[in-house]
Amino acid sequence: MKTLLLCEKPSAARRIAMALDDEGHPLEKKLGIVPYYESRRNGKILIIVPAIGHLYTVTPKIRNRDVYPVFDFEWVPRHEAERGAKEIKKWIDAISKLSADAEDFILATDYDIEGATLGYMILKYACGGKEDRAKRMKFSTLTTSELRSSYDKLLDSIEFPMIEAGICRHLLDAIYGINLSRALTVAAKKWSGRYSTISTGRVQGPTLKFLVDREKEINCFVPLPFWRINAKVEIAGHLFTIEFEKKVIKSQKEATEIAEACRDKKGKIVNIEVREFRQKPPVPFDLGTLQREAYSLFKYTPRRTADVAERLYLEALISYPRTSSQKLPKSINYRSILESLIRDSRYKKLAGMLLDKKDLVPNEGRKDDPAHPAIYPTGNLPERKLSVSEMRLWDLIVRRFMAAFGEPAVKQSVKVSIDVNGYIFYLKGRRVLKEGWITFYRPFMRVEDIILPPIKEGQIVEIKDLSIEMDFTKPPARYNPSSLLKRMEDEGIGTKATRAEIIDTLYTRGYISGDRAVVSELGLDVIDILDRHCPEVISVEFTRELEESMEKIQEGNEKLENVLERAVNKLTPVLLRLKKSEKQIGEELSLAIRESRMNQRIIGDCPVCGTGKLIILRSRKTGKRFLGCTSFFKHSCNVSFPLPQKGKVTAAGKVCSECGFPMIRLKLKGKRPLVICVNPNCPGKERKDSR
Amino acid sequence: MTCKICGKRSKSEFCERHTEAYKSLLRMYDEWKKVMDISWRNYLKEIKENPYTGKWAKEVAAYLLASEMKDSPQ
Repeated sequence: MKTLLLCEKPSAARRIAMALDDEGHPLEKKLGIVPYYESRRNGKILIIVPAIGHLYTVTPKIRNRDVYPVFDFEWVPRHEAERGAKEIKKWIDAISKLSADAEDFILATDYDIEGATLGYMILKYACGGKEDRAKRMKFSTLTTSELRSSYDKLLDSIEFPMIEAGICRHLLDAIYGINLSRALTVAAKKWSGRYSTISTGRVQGPTLKFLVDREKEINCFVPLPFWRINAKVEIAGHLFTIEFEKKVIKSQKEATEIAEACRDKKGKIVNIEVREFRQKPPVPFDLGTLQREAYSLFKYTPRRTADVAERLYLEALISYPRTSSQKLPKSINYRSILESLIRDSRYKKLAGMLLDKKDLVPNEGRKDDPAHPAIYPTGNLPERKLSVSEMRLWDLIVRRFMAAFGEPAVKQSVKVSIDVNGYIFYLKGRRVLKEGWITFYRPFMRVEDIILPPIKEGQIVEIKDLSIEMDFTKPPARYNPSSLLKRMEDEGIGTKATRAEIIDTLYTRGYISGDRAVVSELGLDVIDILDRHCPEVISVEFTRELEESMEKIQEGNEKLENVLERAVNKLTPVLLRLKKSEKQIGEELSLAIRESRMNQRIIGDCPVCGTGKLIILRSRKTGKRFLGCTSFFKHSCNVSFPLPQKGKVTAAGKVCSECGFPMIRLKLKGKRPLVICVNPNCPGKERKDSR
Repeated sequence: MTCKICGKRSKSEFCERHTEAYKSLLRMYDEWKKVMDISWRNYLKEIKENPYTGKWAKEVAAYLLASEMKDSPQ
C-alpha cells in the first residue's frame, strides 16, 4: 500500500523524505527530470514527490490577446498558458504516473493560501480528483521532529475554505490584470502599431497610484526658507552642541534679533530634567517587519529578503517566513531552541544568559496569523557554508528571537535648560543605564551615548560659536521598496506573499526605477489615464474591499461566486469606457512609451557642451553603439564616446568623482554590474592602467 | 492646445502637471512674502536655483522667467 505525499518544492521533499524514513535514508529516484523519494515509515511506503510551485494557472478561454473584456476563465497546466514553462508538463506527467499506484494521499505543501491552492489543483487535475480524500500535514518548520509529529497528527482533510479564497484571489487577479492590461496594451498597439506590454492590476494599480501621488507632490514642491540658531556651550573644557528652544524660526529678522541678543553672552543653567525610561524588547519578526529591518540594515529589497528567508526555511534553519504573526507560542519549545543555538560559539554566551532565566516569556506583538507563528530560528545550525546574505538574515532572526526574551533596556535622558539673555537653549544628553535586550541585538543597534559632565542648576556656562543658519523646507521623501511595502500593509492591499512581487513588477515594467523609487513618464501616464477614465480601478478602497471579501471566504462567511459577480459587475462598465476612449488612450500611452524608451537611452548631461544630453546611438555604418550628444542634431556639439558592445548599458545616475563625466552601468550576463566612467581619458582609468 | 513647457495636450497654457506646479508657485509666494521682502521675479530666480524645488515647479519658474512675466500675479 503506497501513500503519495505531495510537496511544494524539491528541497522540501528531500527534507520531508529524510525526516519520515525510519532509517533516515530514503531511496532517491527519478522519473524523467522529476526527483522523488521512497521512504518507509511504520511499514508503510511513502512516495514523496515535489511540485515546482504552481503547476496550474488561470487563463482566459479566449487566448487572443487583443480581445477584451474576457470573463470566462479556466484552470490549465501552466505549460499550456505560459511561454517558457515547457518542463511543467514533465512534472504533471510524473505526478500523474506516481499517483496511479497510490491509495492514500497527503498534502505537504506550505500551510498557507498558495500552498493549499497549488496542492488542491494538483490533487484535482494531475492525481485525478483526489482532493476530497487527501489528508494534510501542517508544519511551520522543516525540522525532523516537527515533520514527524505533523505526520503522526495528520489533519483529516485539506483546508477547503482557504483553497476557495485562494482560487478567488487567482481569478480576481486574472480578471482584473488581464482585462485592464489588455485594454491599455491594445490601445497603445492600435495607435503606434508596436507591441509593448502595459500592465496594471488589482493591487498593482493602487500601489503605483501611491507612488505617482508622491511623485507629483515632489515635482510640484516649492521650498520655504526658515532659519535656525546654532550654538555650542563649553562645560568642563568640552564643547557640546545646544539647540535653541524653537527649532524653526520663520523670519530672518527674528533670527537676527535672537542671535544679536545672545552673542558673546554667558548662559545660566536654569533647569535640569532627568528622565529614566524602560524600552521593551522588539517583537518577533513577521515577514513585513523582517523585510523592513533587512532593508534598513542591509538594503535588501523585500523580494530578496523573502527569497533568502525561503532558502533558510528550506534548510530547516528558520520557521516558515510567510507569516503575519508576531507571536511565539510556547509549543515551539523556547528552551530547546536556545539549547541548540548554544552550540554556535557566537550565541553561546547569549543563549546561556537566557537559559539561566527561570521563566522565558517573549515580548509579543499584536499581529497574529492562524496558520503560522512569528519567524523564529529552529535551533538547527547550518549544514553548509551560508552565503553572506543568508548568514546575515539568519543572524538577524536568531538575535531578534533572543532579544524578544530579554529584559527591558533602561535608558536615561537629560535635558538641561540654559538661559541666555532671556532666551532658552537646550543641552541634551542620553545614555543606556541597563542594556537588557540590547545585549542580544547589539550588532543591529545604533546606540550613541551623549554623556554630560557633572552640572548643577545656577551654574554659569560659556556660549560659543553662535550663528544663524538659513535652511529650506524639504519635499516629502520618495518611497523606497521598504516604505512602499509598509504603505501596502497599512492600506491592507496585497498579501504578505505577493507584495514584494508586485513592487518588483513595477520595476520590471519600467514604471519606477532606482532605490528611491522615481516614477517614470510611463508610470505617471498610466495612472493619469486610469484616473481620468476609471478611477475606481486604482482606488485603494475597492481593492481593500475585495481583500476583505476574500478573508470572509476563508472564514466561511462568503461565497466565491458572489465576490466574483460583484467584481465583474464593477469591471464591465470600466472596460467599456476604456474601449470607447481607445484612440485617445492609445495616443497618450504611445507618446509615453516613446519618451520612456528615449529616457532609458539617456546617460546624463553632456560634459562638453553642457546643454545637450549624452544618448546611446548606433552607427549607421558599423551598427556599433556609442554615446553621442543630443546637441549634435542642432549642429552645436559633436562629442562622442565609445561604449562596450556587449551587455546592457544604462545610466548609473551619477558622475565620475575623478573627471565629472557621467557614468554608465554595464551588466554582462552572469556577472555583477560594473559602473564605468564614459570618459576614455579619465585620470582614474589612466592611474589604474599604469598600476 | 499644447502645454507651453512640455508640449503635452492641455486645455490651457499649461498641462495638468505644470498647472499644479504653477498653483504651488503662486501659493508659496504668499508664504515667502510673509518671511522676507522679495519680488516675484527674485522669488522665481530663487525657486529656479533651489535644489529642493520640484522638477515641474522649476520648469514653470524657468518658463515664467524666460517669458519675462516679471510682475507679481497678485
